[in-house]
Amino acid sequence: MNTLVGFIKKEFAQILRDYRMRALLFVAPLIQLTLFSVAISNEVKNIRLAVIASPQDEIANLVTRKAAASGWFIMVEQDNAVEPFELVRSGRAEAVLVAPPGGFTEAYVRDSRPVQLLVDSTNVLRGQQVDNYVQAIFRAAVKERFPVLGPQAGVPIEFDVRILYNPEMITSVFMVPGVMSLILCLLTIVLTSMAITREKEMGTFETLVAAPVSTTEIILGKTVPYIVLGTLDSVLILTFAILVFGVPQKGPLIILIFSMFVFICATVAIGTFISTISKTQQQAMLGGFLFLFPAIQFSGLMFPIENMPIYMRFFSAINPLSYFIVLQRNIMLKGGDASIILKNLAALVAIGVVMIAISFTRFKKKLS
Amino acid sequence: MSGVEGGPNYSVEVEGLRVQFGDFIAVKDISFNVNAGEIFGFLGANGAGKTTTIRVLCGLLEPNLGDVRVMGLNPKQGLDAIKSRVGYMSQRFTLYDDLTVDENLSFAASLRKLTREKFSRRKKDLLEFIGFERPLNTLVKNLPGGLKQQVSLCAATLHDPDIVFLDEPTAGVTPTYRARFWSLIRSMAASGKTVFVTTHYMDEAEQCDRIALMRDGSLIALDSPGGLKRSTFPEPIYEISSSREKLDEFWFESIKKRPEILKIQPHGLRYHAQLSKGVVEGQLRELVSSGCVVRVIPPSLEDVFIRLVEGGLP
Repeated sequence: MNTLVGFIKKEFAQILRDYRMRALLFVAPLIQLTLFSVAISNEVKNIRLAVIASPQDEIANLVTRKAAASGWFIMVEQDNAVEPFELVRSGRAEAVLVAPPGGFTEAYVRDSRPVQLLVDSTNVLRGQQVDNYVQAIFRAAVKERFPVLGPQAGVPIEFDVRILYNPEMITSVFMVPGVMSLILCLLTIVLTSMAITREKEMGTFETLVAAPVSTTEIILGKTVPYIVLGTLDSVLILTFAILVFGVPQKGPLIILIFSMFVFICATVAIGTFISTISKTQQQAMLGGFLFLFPAIQFSGLMFPIENMPIYMRFFSAINPLSYFIVLQRNIMLKGGDASIILKNLAALVAIGVVMIAISFTRFKKKLS
Repeated sequence: MSGVEGGPNYSVEVEGLRVQFGDFIAVKDISFNVNAGEIFGFLGANGAGKTTTIRVLCGLLEPNLGDVRVMGLNPKQGLDAIKSRVGYMSQRFTLYDDLTVDENLSFAASLRKLTREKFSRRKKDLLEFIGFERPLNTLVKNLPGGLKQQVSLCAATLHDPDIVFLDEPTAGVTPTYRARFWSLIRSMAASGKTVFVTTHYMDEAEQCDRIALMRDGSLIALDSPGGLKRSTFPEPIYEISSSREKLDEFWFESIKKRPEILKIQPHGLRYHAQLSKGVVEGQLRELVSSGCVVRVIPPSLEDVFIRLVEGGLP
């Protein structure tokens, strides 16, 4: 009777016997995917904007109208007597556009006065976008009021902007692949590391090593079942993402699934490594999360890697998540570019091989 | 007892074994042999080095010093060879609680790479041997502790090893199941297997062919239970009891001081005494009042254990 087959049967029996575990494996990821993808959005909506100007100011009125029509803003009813700064401080408005003494139109015609815009930037990411939106609305209003005239009649060069690969800029299209990788990572790392430490904690590890099995057999025996489960799970999540969230799947499916498989091998290898440095299941669980949190931050899932200082990008370079997110977005949204796929796959393979090599030596040292 | 030095009749040969963890020497240069087919009891307090020695003999730990042979095999020639001849039932759980009896046995078989035919034959034989009558798809966690240990024994001997190491196999098991387990041990030994067992129960130690006693990593005694009693207590032990008189502390304190008494210890309501050199039983009878009953008793293994392990060497 084959040792590896025996291991796979045993792990499957242990995992799938418990209905809670089955739910955790096959239902929880779908719920997570739904929650994360629906709730997490980079779009800035419901910006509370106040425009302080005289009621006769044409540009101010245009700005108000355009802003209200865009759907991004909620206009704050303001009293001209209120101090603009107070509006932001009290939180009644996030952005306050303040007209110069003569009004916006006057300032524009004279081409002299700067226009004041107050932006609440307690949330930096939101603040930046609010700033951009208000300026865009303002420019549009000016352009409408003075279609041809004037020195500032809009930008001299007109852009013909075409947003590629996600034309409507739907956040879920961009987030779902990322969230998928996150869930896979969580499942494989935590499950693998806990499965190995459980054997140590229960004492059954002694039984394993008392049999004439090699380190390779033990490592394969404890990892292959989780690679199989992870791959099954990834196909399930992928199907759900495509059918329910309408995430495009432009590239070759087989390559996408293969890269998921390679990614899962790498994360299972990391889980194995974590188990070699933990004695108990709690430690393994904590170790998994200690890895995961920075891994998410440095993955480019939410914050672009290009924005990080060079020396910090090192963490992205050793992070399997960052390669996989590129791979997934590239294959699913763009259709897949051979050189990008190969480069990122190679990085994942390298990470997996290094982690398994370290785990292997640590295992071997511990056993003897 | 049998065997020539280095001959084939030893299952285990240990010569100057030392195991060290950092600065701590867990096993201090011990030497002993285990005869083929005997029940070898390995006794000692917790932390005396029993489990460490067993782990070396099972090929789980490499010794720092010394020469070890198990079934004639040296660990330096490869641990796997030893592992395949040895069955090991560790102190802790050998079975997975969340697997059924059948799943546990079949996993043990795949660890040992048994053929399908050998597995089904051994499984049938062993389950018959322990008299297992529950459904095979019972989860191990639903078995009583004593039965769990018996199934563990099956899993540990599935590959038909020549020697079985049982590390406290009956700890925390009811007396009925303990007795049952020991009858299994005896029939295994009778069928030619060597059984190497650790225990804290003296009634179990009595059933061993020979007993080794460990203290602080050293082997302090090795003999049959009878031999150990004779060598530890060469002089007879007298039991003093009385149904009429109260043998209280005052009585104890006064008799303790008598020069005729070498040693006296309370055992429940009775006392166990040893006499000084040259003193005869008649003198003891004169010493205690007429209401007392004095009789020679054989020392129990517990007496031996207390004297050797806890009381120090006489």
